[in-house]
Amino acid sequence: MPLQILLVEDSPGDVRLTKEAFRDAGKTVELHVAVDGVEAMQFLRKEGAHADAPRPDFILLDLNLPKMDGREVLALIKQDESLRSIPTVILTTSDAEADIVHSYQLRANCYLSKPVQLEQFEAIVRSINDFWLTKAKLPQQVLS
Amino acid sequence: MKNVIERSDAKNLAQMEGKYRGLLEAAPDAMVVVNQRGEIDLLNVQAEKQFGYRRDELLGQKVTTIIPRGFAERLVADDLRSAADALDQQIGTGIELVALRKDGTEFPIEIMLSPLDSAEGMLVTAAIRDISVRKAAEQHLAQMEGRYRGLLEAAPDAMVVVNQSGEIVLLNAQAEKQFGYRRDELLGQKVTNIIPIGFAERLIADDLRSAADALGQQIGTGIELVALRKDGSEFPIEIMLSPLDSTEGILVTAAIRDISVRRAADEHLSQMEGRYRGLLEAAPDAMVVVNQSGEIVLLNAQAEKQFGYHRDELLGQQVTTVIPEGFAERLIADDLRSDEDALAQQIGTGIELDGVRKDGSFFPIEIMLSPLESAEGMLVTAAIRDITARNSAEEHLVRKMDELNRSNEELEQFAYIASHDLQEPLRMVASYTQLLARRYTGRLDADADEFISFAVDGAARMQRLIQDLLAFSRVGTKGKDLVAIPSGDALDRALKNLSGAIEDSGAIVTFDPLPSVLADEMQLIQLFQNLVGNAIKYQNAGIPKVHVSAERCAEDDKWVFKVRDNGIGIDPQYYDRIFGMFKRLHKREEFAGTGIGLAICKKIVERHGGAISVESQPGEGSTFTFDLISGTNQVNETGE
Amino acid sequence: MPVEVLLIEDSPGDIRLMQEAFREAMTPTNLSVVCDGDEALAFLRLEGTHAAAPRPELILLDLNLPKIDGREVLTQIKSDDDLKMIPIIVLTSSEAEGDVVAIYHMQANCCLLKPTDLDSFKSLIKTTTDFWLSLAKLPHEYRRPMDRFPEDTPIPSHGPQARIARNVSGG
Repeated sequence: MPLQILLVEDSPGDVRLTKEAFRDAGKTVELHVAVDGVEAMQFLRKEGAHADAPRPDFILLDLNLPKMDGREVLALIKQDESLRSIPTVILTTSDAEADIVHSYQLRANCYLSKPVQLEQFEAIVRSINDFWLTKAKLPQQVLS
Repeated sequence: MKNVIERSDAKNLAQMEGKYRGLLEAAPDAMVVVNQRGEIDLLNVQAEKQFGYRRDELLGQKVTTIIPRGFAERLVADDLRSAADALDQQIGTGIELVALRKDGTEFPIEIMLSPLDSAEGMLVTAAIRDISVRKAAEQHLAQMEGRYRGLLEAAPDAMVVVNQSGEIVLLNAQAEKQFGYRRDELLGQKVTNIIPIGFAERLIADDLRSAADALGQQIGTGIELVALRKDGSEFPIEIMLSPLDSTEGILVTAAIRDISVRRAADEHLSQMEGRYRGLLEAAPDAMVVVNQSGEIVLLNAQAEKQFGYHRDELLGQQVTTVIPEGFAERLIADDLRSDEDALAQQIGTGIELDGVRKDGSFFPIEIMLSPLESAEGMLVTAAIRDITARNSAEEHLVRKMDELNRSNEELEQFAYIASHDLQEPLRMVASYTQLLARRYTGRLDADADEFISFAVDGAARMQRLIQDLLAFSRVGTKGKDLVAIPSGDALDRALKNLSGAIEDSGAIVTFDPLPSVLADEMQLIQLFQNLVGNAIKYQNAGIPKVHVSAERCAEDDKWVFKVRDNGIGIDPQYYDRIFGMFKRLHKREEFAGTGIGLAICKKIVERHGGAISVESQPGEGSTFTFDLISGTNQVNETGE
Repeated sequence: MPVEVLLIEDSPGDIRLMQEAFREAMTPTNLSVVCDGDEALAFLRLEGTHAAAPRPELILLDLNLPKIDGREVLTQIKSDDDLKMIPIIVLTSSEAEGDVVAIYHMQANCCLLKPTDLDSFKSLIKTTTDFWLSLAKLPHEYRRPMDRFPEDTPIPSHGPQARIARNVSGG
């Protein structure tokens, strides 16, 4: 089974770019998309339309989201005993120090800022693939 | 002889003797009855006790046994007088003699004699009192007086001690000198000889008050009187009285000071004051003259007007009435400094305080203090200016400055937010035109390829512009505190960031040892990166050579940095222009760039308190010069 | 300004390898090394001889430690309000040693399995330093990557190794 990744992102342009970058990185991943915080939590809790959602091995979370903010989603994940062990990486346009520190305080596993240049964006996704999805031990991999 | 008792009345006598003995024993003093031969006929218990003999050891003995001298002699008639006369002269008088105890010790006594006619002739009763305690006290007093005289002579003023009868009992050398008399010419004389009026009267009780009260009223007060010298000339004095208890009753010590000099000075002062008042009134500010006790001694019409008081309402009042805080305190010495020093620290300084008007309203003032020597000690003249208007002008200015700063900040915030938010949609445009170019170039027609390339180029340029704008606005909004950092490290970092360009161009970058400077590290890196990057970029052909150096500028503790290149150079007419926003000297096709890089450099250097300039000739390379504050004198130096 | 990194590791061999790897990293680092859990906590809390210790921006924690166990160190750091935002990369020697889920549950930011052969180890550390030091944003004020520096200067790519790396210092 390919790695299950939840991408919480409201910009279709960025969703598409992320997908393209993962494809270019040559990794087979199953990318699930939630377009706002509420949907992200439904997916993670297998609620409503997401009753059959798989448990993600890895979460990519934008901070600026409609309905429910990314920070709130992060806090909910990390307070939830059954969800907190899923590595949750922030991927956002903000590189404000306050956002970085606050995210780590909310127990984000890592903080990445979206680069402006296409090449760099691709490099970021590639390194997520190289590091997180290849080198690092993800919880689910060990269990399976 | 009226006290003669008849022999025939012997029984009566025995009765008398019994009664007399009773009286004798009841007396508080030692009593000894002596006959004309000087033999002791009778004595009481106190006498036994005082002299240390038993009664029978003394009875019939010569009185000289216990009072060796001065008593027996008095009982004996001499050639000039009868025994009765001799005794008469002594009766009732307290005579001080020396007595002798059985153990041989002596002690002072006072005896009082009284005659007693008896069948055996005249007897003498002596009441004997041990006065050793009193003698000791008297001796003590004499010593005290000796010491007091020492004080008297040491006093700087003329001192005269007068008794209640107005007689001079003591005086010092200064008094002799001041009045022109020798001591013995004054001792025992009436004090009115030297102070005709006003002193003696003060010593005397009148119908309304006792002597003590009369004196009490005057003690310690400085009284100005007129004194008279031996030569008849008069001079003004000030006397200070103090009481002195003595065995002779209350004495009065008068300290007498010749105040003729001061009087003259006072007169001079009043003349001066007249003149000074003229100046005071002419002054444009409110003027208040205050003495060292903080009392207002003079003020001008402007002061009346400014504080809303009449002159006489303020004269003699504490200055705190009109300036509650900060002025009076400045006149007073404390443990650390004298009056003069306290004042000296404040003289001439413009001090901002609050004034208070008679109606209780406060207003801001500025005072300038200046000292004024006078007969009464140092006075302080305060020029008081109402600065209500000035303060409101200052407030206005401060408000304007705040507004300006705020609008500046808002502008920077705006630039930051705008460029930040602009980036999002632009990122989409740029990313997807790039994807389009990557995947479809050559697969559509030539027009499509050209259109896509313009779109990609435009989007990329706009991205760079926005990033530069962002960087420019960050110099102000995101700047860190300046700390001492090794500038060599910042250059290292900049060169590392430029490593791609350096490799591509084959540039040779050299540098001298670089100093520690006060800087925001990120901005210093950016500064080096922009300048060295420019030096590499603006080249025609050949290998770019860049040299970075720093030279100490001794007088203002700065380092002057130079970034020298062998590039295309700049025409002097463009020196100023190149540091402006979006100012470019070349067509985009020649050299890429947004024209913000040097504007950022200028903003960074200026934020660090320095200036940047360029020297160049076309074709001969350029040297950019900027200065930074030295970091070596800073405590928080972080050198390697 | 080099990135402050704290390595909590008791194996001298691994320490040496880490130092080599960090020296070769693109981003200059200042690597401090402590050899047991007690010392690690003292270092982080500026206690004893560590009163002047730098505050790390990234921690590498070997799970198998003498004295206080790595798990205990992890728990203590992550429950300390002053320290919990510092990312911790946990290194375990074998999968058997640690339940990876538990490690993530204890709020490790990342979990790595130490490979047994040298090349894999070097490659792992290279990927890790590339990612955490160059791409990830670490929670520190002055840790701001250079990728936004303005024009007139080309933006460096992550490709070529920089020529000047004087700042790197081992622990």
